[in-house]
Order: sequence, then C-alpha cells, then structure tokens
Amino acid sequence: MDPLIEVRDLTKTYSAGAARSWALRGVSLSMARGEFAAIMGRSGSGKSTFMNIVGCLARQSSGVYRLDGIDVSRLSRDELAAIRNTKIGFVFQSFNLLPRTSAIENVELPLLYNRTVGSTSRLVRARQALAMVGLEGLEGRHPNELSGGQQQRVAIARSLVNSPEMILADEPTGALDTRNGVELMAIFQELNRRQGITILLVTHDPDIAAFARRVIRFRDGLVVDDETIRRPRDAHEALAETMPAAGVPAGADGGSR
Amino acid sequence: MRSMAPPVRMAIRALRANSVRSGLTILGVVIGVAAVIATVAVGSGARDRIQKQIASIGSNLIVVLPGSLTASGIRLGTGNALSLTEDDARALAAECPSVALAAPVVRQAQQVVAGVSNWATGIVGTTPDFLAVRDLEVARGAAFTWQDVDGAAKVALLGETVVRNLFPAGGAVGQSVRIRNVPFIVVGVLAPKGQSPSGQDQDDVILIPISTAKKKVLGSSLASAGAVGSIMTQARSAAVIKTAQEEMRSLLRQRHHLQTPQEDDFTIRNLEDVFNAQESSARVMAMLLAAIASVSLLVGGIGIMNVMLVSVTERTREIGLRLAVGARTRDILLQFLAEAVVLASAGGLLGVVAGLAGAAIISRIAGWSIVLSGPAILLAFFFSGMVGVFFGFYPAQKAALLDPIEALHYE
Ligand SMILES: Nc1ncnc2c1ncn2[C@@H]1O[C@H](COP(=O)(O)OP(=O)(O)O)[C@@H](O)[C@H]1O
Ligand SMILES: [Mg+2]
Repeated sequence: MDPLIEVRDLTKTYSAGAARSWALRGVSLSMARGEFAAIMGRSGSGKSTFMNIVGCLARQSSGVYRLDGIDVSRLSRDELAAIRNTKIGFVFQSFNLLPRTSAIENVELPLLYNRTVGSTSRLVRARQALAMVGLEGLEGRHPNELSGGQQQRVAIARSLVNSPEMILADEPTGALDTRNGVELMAIFQELNRRQGITILLVTHDPDIAAFARRVIRFRDGLVVDDETIRRPRDAHEALAETMPAAGVPAGADGGSR
Repeated sequence: MRSMAPPVRMAIRALRANSVRSGLTILGVVIGVAAVIATVAVGSGARDRIQKQIASIGSNLIVVLPGSLTASGIRLGTGNALSLTEDDARALAAECPSVALAAPVVRQAQQVVAGVSNWATGIVGTTPDFLAVRDLEVARGAAFTWQDVDGAAKVALLGETVVRNLFPAGGAVGQSVRIRNVPFIVVGVLAPKGQSPSGQDQDDVILIPISTAKKKVLGSSLASAGAVGSIMTQARSAAVIKTAQEEMRSLLRQRHHLQTPQEDDFTIRNLEDVFNAQESSARVMAMLLAAIASVSLLVGGIGIMNVMLVSVTERTREIGLRLAVGARTRDILLQFLAEAVVLASAGGLLGVVAGLAGAAIISRIAGWSIVLSGPAILLAFFFSGMVGVFFGFYPAQKAALLDPIEALHYE
C-alpha cells in the first residue's frame, strides 16, 4: 500500500527581485496512514513551507510530492481545492474562525464546498464533529464568546467534519496556554488512535512534540533528524498528573490507560 | 438550487454586518432605478392621456383638407380652396375598401340666439355619418336623419357647452334656436366629450344638415359649387389607416384629374401624425431622464465595485480560509458576485418603491396621470441586478484568484 505522504527531493525557492532564497533544499520523507508526527525546527527552517506544500496550498519548485499515490503537482487549482476539502483538515495557530458566525456554522464551512453533502446531513455532521471535541451545547456561540482553547477546538471540529485522511496543524498550540495545549494534544491523540486519522503538526515546544510518535527536525530547509518515539507521552495521563483538579475534557474521555 | 442558496444567504449576512456602508453604496442604484421608474410612469401616463384624447376625437379618423400642406404643416395659398366636394366624400366611402365612412363638413362661426341668450359657436354642416366618424353620441333627443339632409330641414344638434349657455334653465330639446336669423328646432343634445388634445372645447359646437348649412347659413361661395371645407373619414381599423390614406389619395388624384408631376390639391392627415409632434417633445424629455438614470446607475455601479473591492480586502483572511477548506475559484466568485447582485438588487427594489412614490407625488402635484408598467418595473429590477453582475465581477474575480497562503497570512 502506498504511503499517505511521499516526498522526494522537494525544494521551494522564493524569488525576491533578482535574489532567490531557498525555503526547502531537498526534503525527502514518507508518512504512512495513521502516523502522528511532529515537525520541529528553528524559525525560518522551512516547516511552514513544507506544511503548505503537503497541504496542497502551495506548489513545490522541484521534486515530487505524492499524496495517496497521486502526483498532486499535476492537478489544477480546483482539483487541489477538492483534495483539501475531502482529504485534509487544517488547524492554524490563529484559529482562523469566521467572526460573527456561530460555532456550528464555522464547522459546517468545509461541507458547503462538498457537493455530496446535503444541508440536513451537513448539520448532523457538524454537530457530531463538535461533540467529538467536547463542545456539545456551544453550537450557537460566536468565536468572541469562546475561550482560546474552545476556539481551537471549534477549528479542530471544522478540520474533522469532512472525515479527512489527515490533519495538518501548523503550531496549533502556539496561541494557547500549557493546559489548553495539552488538552488539544489529548484530542489529537484520541483522533489518531480511535479513528486512525494521520496527524502532522508543527511545534516549537518539545513538551508538545513529546506526545507524537515521530519527531522530524528541520534545519535550513532540510530534514536533519527523523526519529520514532517508542513510548510517547499520553496527554490524558499528563492532564491527570499535572492538573488533577481540572479533570479531563469532555469527549476525550477514553484515552487514559 | 442548493448550490445557489448558501451564497445568497452568506451575501445577505455579510451585507447586514455592514449595513450603513451597504445602504450608502446602493444609493446611486436607488436613485437611478427610481428615475427610470418615475420617468416611465409619467411618460406612459402622458402617452396614455394623448391616446385617450385622440380616441375621443374619433377612432381611426382621417381628415381630408382642401389644398396642399408643406412638410411643416403650413397650408399653401396656391391650393384650390374649393377642391373638395360632397361627391368626393361619397366616392371615398363607396370606392375605397379601407374607408368605412366619409362625412363632408362645412364649418362657420356664427352667433346663435335662443330667447334672450346668445352665444358664438362653431356651426358644422354635415351628414349623420359625422357622428359615427367622430364617435359622437346623442345624450338627449335624437340625431338628424338622411331625410333631414335631403330636405334641408332646419334641425340642429347642440353640444353641451352651447346648451349650457343658451338654455341655462335646461330643456333644450324641442326648443328653437336662431342661427343667422333662421330658426332651427333642437332635435338633440350631444354627449359631452371634453377638451381635444390641442385644448379646444369639443362640446362648443352645433351640428346641422350640410344642405341646410349651405342654403341658409353659409355665404354663397361654398354653396354654389357643392364644395366642402373638409371630409372626415373613418378607416375600417387602426391597422388599415395607412392603406386607407393611400386609397383615398389615388382616388382623389384620379377624380381631380391630376397628372404625375402635379401636386395633390388636397391633404390627408391622420391624428397620429398630428400628435406625433407632441409626443416627440415628450420623447426628448424621456431621453434626458434616461440619461440621468443611466449616469446614476453607472455611479451606483462604480460605488458597488468600490465597496466590493474594500470588502474583498477586508475579508482576505476569510477568503484564504475558504480556499484552504476547499472552496473552488467558482465558489468564491459566486459568493462575491452574489453579494454585489444582492446589493444592487436591494438598490433596485428600493429604487422601484422610491420611483413609484415619486411618480405618485408628481401626478398628485402636476395633476398628470401615471401608468404603472409591470414590464418596466421588472426590467429596472433586472437591470439593477445586471449592474451588480457587471460591477461586481472584477472584485469577485480578484477574490477568487487570491493565493490561498498569501490570503491566509494577510494582515
Ligand atoms: N512568501 C514568501 N516569500 C519569500 N520568502 C518566504 C516566503 N515564505 C517563507 N519565506 C522564507 O522561507 C523560509 C522558510 O520559511 P517558513 O517555511 O515560514 O519557516 P518556518 O515555518 O519554519 O518558520 C524563511 O527564510 C522565510 O523567510
Ligand atoms: Mg512557520
């Protein structure tokens, strides 16, 4: 079976006037279905650039990227949009929720662009996704009525709603405090273990990366280290140990061993 | 349907979030559409009124006058003033297939006396066909008959204005009036017709048999030759007015022995021709207003384009997000196009309301009648939507072609 993500000699250059700067200098790696990987590296090392290409939001300058066996560099703008819609869920550092729009409508957004989903099942699926991240009952809240952690969970629900193959999260905990960050990781671990969703996230924080089962390190546009973690930390346990009073977030209840 | 409804819903929501800006933006469209609607309402009201008046003079009426007219409508002195005869009238009715009726007319202003009252009015000597040609009806009493014409009976049909001035106490029928000292019996009173399009009182008239008019009322010059002042004819239908005019012209040329190079010694005119001049000045007015309307629609459209460009810039991150979660180029294009169209159509809708209100006010103040035209309202509404499409397209396309990454990270 093909790996879900396969990149070879991937480069990306930005031309600023006459000068060319290299964001990626030849990245090769592959990720199987069901993996949970964290990308680490200094600022400017090319992590976001890599994520954007993997997420079909940008195209590489050279090299090959196969997603699910498909060479996506050959696809049109709208075909890429369709892949983003159905195969990939994005979670951003700054949440990127629509203001003045309820949580449930934010979650429904990707379904508006999926023509196989009717308006009734749109609502059902959005409700389910919100329940999965422990936000049932808050469907009608607008982003400004939600905490940062809750907003990021709405964003995760939005990334889940089309049942994607993988979730790409570029510094998802960057705007959250430690506790909310760990709760987010609990949700990711849950999704990864229970539903087999492939998760690739970027983080600066080694404590966050410790929840992943694989850590990939970038430096100056190259992969310099790629290690598999035998026994990753369990986010539920971490929550129970360090912050027993706060309890476990609803909907992420089955994880502790 | 499902693919269209969400963009419209999204558009309405986005516009309501900025309701003051949206309201100001559509003002140009509102004014443009209101101008169109008011113009059409008042303009077609005027046309309607003229047409009603033309019909009041007589439907499908064609007038034959002696002498020729220049293009500008001035009668040339060279024409033979006595070139039309009663025989011509009879021939027109009998030999022109498209002509239904033809009534010879002689006319003179006379002082009329009844008891102590007297009144100066127009005496029209004609035949009973005149009533049908002019769509006249007898309100009281009866019309004079063909026997009255043959016998040159001294009978008269009075218009309402004449009755009012000669018989203020009422009861004209059966009474006697003196025209040029000749006593006439009033056999009937005509139903009132009101003003003609040129402002004449059509009820200030007395109809008498043409034979009597020639023998007793008019000077000898007309009486001698069987000549008439004009012939009023009626075409069989509105569709054959032109045909009837052609038939009459060739028949009269033949009867008057006119050779090819010779000009007509008569003039044939239908009422449409007469009032077209009036209408053309109304048309200039309408064109002026249409120009104002299109300028304000243009300004309104540019306003919409401007506000849509601002909106696209403000919502760059939203667009980036939508692209990231799978919106295709077309989806974004449609979303912003829908917004522009909703904006413009809202302006159109308000414009229709404002235009109708304006027309109603104009008609109240100026006393003009207005005609509300459904198609014109739909067209104006549709046109405002098209303004939205046209001026919304560039901003929408700009939004749809944004780079997802750049849009997502736009500050
Ligand atoms: N749109 C862009 N134009 C020019 N240079 C860019 C652009 N995006 C990223 N870069 C450059 O590419 C390099 C890698 O950036 P990025 O992938 O954002 O790094 P990271 O996410 O690891 O901080 C940096 O040197 C950055 O300045
Ligand atoms: Mg980055």
